[in-house]
Amino acid sequence: MSQIIISVGREFGSGGRVIAEKLAERFDLPLYDRHLITEIAEKMGMTVEQVEKYNEAPKMKIISRRVNGYSNSIEDNIAEMQFDIIDDKAKSGESFVVVGRCSETKLRKYPALVSLFILGDMDQKIKRVMEVYELSEEDAKKFITKKDKKRKRYHNYHCQGKWGDSRLYDLSVNSSRLGIDKTVDMLEDYIKARIEAMK
Amino acid sequence: MIVAQIFAVIIFVGMFIMIVLDKIERHYVTLGSGLLTLIVVFGICMRNGTAILNTLAVKDFFTRDFWYQVEESESSGINWATIVFIAGMMLMVEGMAKSGFFRWLCMKIAFLVKCKTVPIFITFTIMAAVLSMFIDSITVIMFLAAVTVELAQLLKFNPVPMILSEIFCANLGGSATMCGDPPNIIIGTSLGFSFFDFLLNTGLAAGISLIVSVIFLYFAFRKELVTEKGAEVDMSKFPKPSEAITNKKDFLISTIIFGCAVILLVTHSTTHLTVASIGLFIGIVTLIAAGKHALELLKKVDYKTLVFFIGLFMVVSGLEETEMLDKIAMFIEKICGGDVKLMIVIILWVSAIASAFVDNIPFAATMVPVIKNLAAASGTPISTLAWTLAIGTDIGGSATPIGASANVVGTSVAAKNGHPISWGRYCKKLAPATVIVLVISTVYLFVRYV
Repeated sequence: MSQIIISVGREFGSGGRVIAEKLAERFDLPLYDRHLITEIAEKMGMTVEQVEKYNEAPKMKIISRRVNGYSNSIEDNIAEMQFDIIDDKAKSGESFVVVGRCSETKLRKYPALVSLFILGDMDQKIKRVMEVYELSEEDAKKFITKKDKKRKRYHNYHCQGKWGDSRLYDLSVNSSRLGIDKTVDMLEDYIKARIEAMK
Repeated sequence: MIVAQIFAVIIFVGMFIMIVLDKIERHYVTLGSGLLTLIVVFGICMRNGTAILNTLAVKDFFTRDFWYQVEESESSGINWATIVFIAGMMLMVEGMAKSGFFRWLCMKIAFLVKCKTVPIFITFTIMAAVLSMFIDSITVIMFLAAVTVELAQLLKFNPVPMILSEIFCANLGGSATMCGDPPNIIIGTSLGFSFFDFLLNTGLAAGISLIVSVIFLYFAFRKELVTEKGAEVDMSKFPKPSEAITNKKDFLISTIIFGCAVILLVTHSTTHLTVASIGLFIGIVTLIAAGKHALELLKKVDYKTLVFFIGLFMVVSGLEETEMLDKIAMFIEKICGGDVKLMIVIILWVSAIASAFVDNIPFAATMVPVIKNLAAASGTPISTLAWTLAIGTDIGGSATPIGASANVVGTSVAAKNGHPISWGRYCKKLAPATVIVLVISTVYLFVRYV
C-alpha cells in the first residue's frame, strides 16, 4: 500500500477519537494522539502530565511574545514540536492516523493526506460525555463548550483556516446521524476510494 | 487639533494592543497604523501636507548630514538612519552566520577553558555582553543558546541557568553602545549622539553592572552549575571549533568585515561618518564579498523588522505633530517640578517597568520626543535624559521572558531542546538581577549627572 495519512479533527464528545482508533485498526496503521505527548515528554524531560497541561492548549497572549518564529510560550513550543514530529513522520513516507494537532493544515502538502472532521449533535455529544466522564447534563454541556473553545483557539492561532470549517477538510461528518460504527464503515469506504484514486 | 490628537492617540493605543494580541504580524500592524496616521490624522483632520512630508522624511537621504555629520543634529519623522544601519548590520550578520563565525567563536572559547562548567559560564556570559555591543542580541543568543545546549548535553549539566545568564548579559551589553539595542540606535540617531558618547556614558554603567551581575548570577545559580556526578569530560568527543567553519574564505572575509564595522563605529565621531553611512558601506561590502550568493543574503534580511520600524516611526510622528507628546513632557515636568533626580527616577523606572512587559522599541521611539521636550522645558541636559531612557528601556526588558527579543529567542531555543522555561523560573532570578542593575544605574546617574 502506498503512503496514507488520515487526519481526524473532531468536536469534543463527537466520538472522533474512537473513530480514529477504529480507522487505525481497520487500515492497520499506528495512531498518533497521546503517543505524541509521551514522545515529547521523553524529549523534554517532563512528565506526561506536565506536557498534557500544555497540549492542544492556546497560549495566554498577554504573557507571550513571538520574535522571528521563536516564542517564549511553552504551549507554542510543544505545539511546534508536535507539528515537527508529524511532519517528519509524513516526510519519511510513514502511513498513520493522527488526531487533531492542526494536522489537516500542517500536513496539507502531502498528497497522501485524507483529512476528516467529525462533528455531532449537541444532545448526542452531551449524552456521550455524561457516560464517559460520569457528569451531569449541565456539567457535560459546560465541559464540551470549554473543550471545544480551547481546541478552536488553539487551531485558529496556529492555522490560517477556521477550526471545523468544512472547506478545510476533505470530508466533514456528523457522527450522530449514523452512529460511530456506521460512520466508521462509511469513512473506510471513502478512504479506500481515495487510496484507489491515489494509485 | 483636538480631533487630530484623539485620532493619533486611538491609532497609537490600538497599535500597541494589536502588537500585544499578536493576531496580525506586527509589521502589518505598525505599517497599517502608520498609513492611518498619514491619512486620518495628517490628511483628514489636520489637512497638513507638510506634516506628511516631515513624517516621510525622504528628503533626509539628500542632505549631507544624513551621511556625513560634523555637528550633532536631531531628526524627526521616519528615522531612516536607523533603518539603513539596521539593514546593513543584518546583511553583515547573515554573512557571518553563513560562514560559521558564531558557532566557531563559541566552540573555540569552550575549548580554551577546557570545557569546564564554571569557566564556560563566566566566559559565555561576558561574550554575550561583548558581542551584543555590536551585533543584535537575537543573533547572539540564537547561537550562544544553541551551543550551550549542545555543551550541556555533552557535559551533562543543566543549560537553563547559563542560557538565562547569557540572555541577561546580552541585554546588558546591548545597553553599552549606540548599536547594541534598537532603542539606543533610535535615541542616538534622533538626538545626534555618537557611538563613543554611548560607550562613555551608558557603557560605563553597563560595565559596572556586568561585573556585579556575573557575580550575582554565579551565586544565584552556583548549585545548578555542576555536572552530573561521575560525568567525565572527554574532550575528544566534542566537535572541533574548526568544524564550525563552513568556508574558510567566507569566514576570513566576514571576520574582516566585522572588524571594519567595529572600527568604523568606534571612530565615527572622529571620521564624522554617520551610522547610516556605516550601515550602507558594511551592507554593500558584504554583498560584494558574497559574490554570487549576494541575492541569497539579501533574501535573508529581516524585512519585516524594517517595515515594523517604518510604520512605528509614522505612528509616533502622529503623536509628535499633534503635540500630544508635549503634553506628556509637560506632565512629567509638572510632577518633577525641576527636580532632576526625580526626573531620572521617573524616566528610568517607568521605562524599565514598561519595557519589562511591552516591546521596548515603540516605547523608546515614543519617549524620544518626550525627553526632547522635557529637556527644553526643564533646562535639564538632553544627554542626561537620553542615557536614563536608554538604560531604562534596555535593562527593564531583562525582567520578564517577554521583555526583550533575546529573552524570547533564548527561552524558545531552550524549550525546543527539552528545557522549557516558565515565567516563574525565569523571573525568580532575573527579576531581582534587573532590580539590582536598575538600583546601580540610578546611583550611577545621580552621581555622574546631578
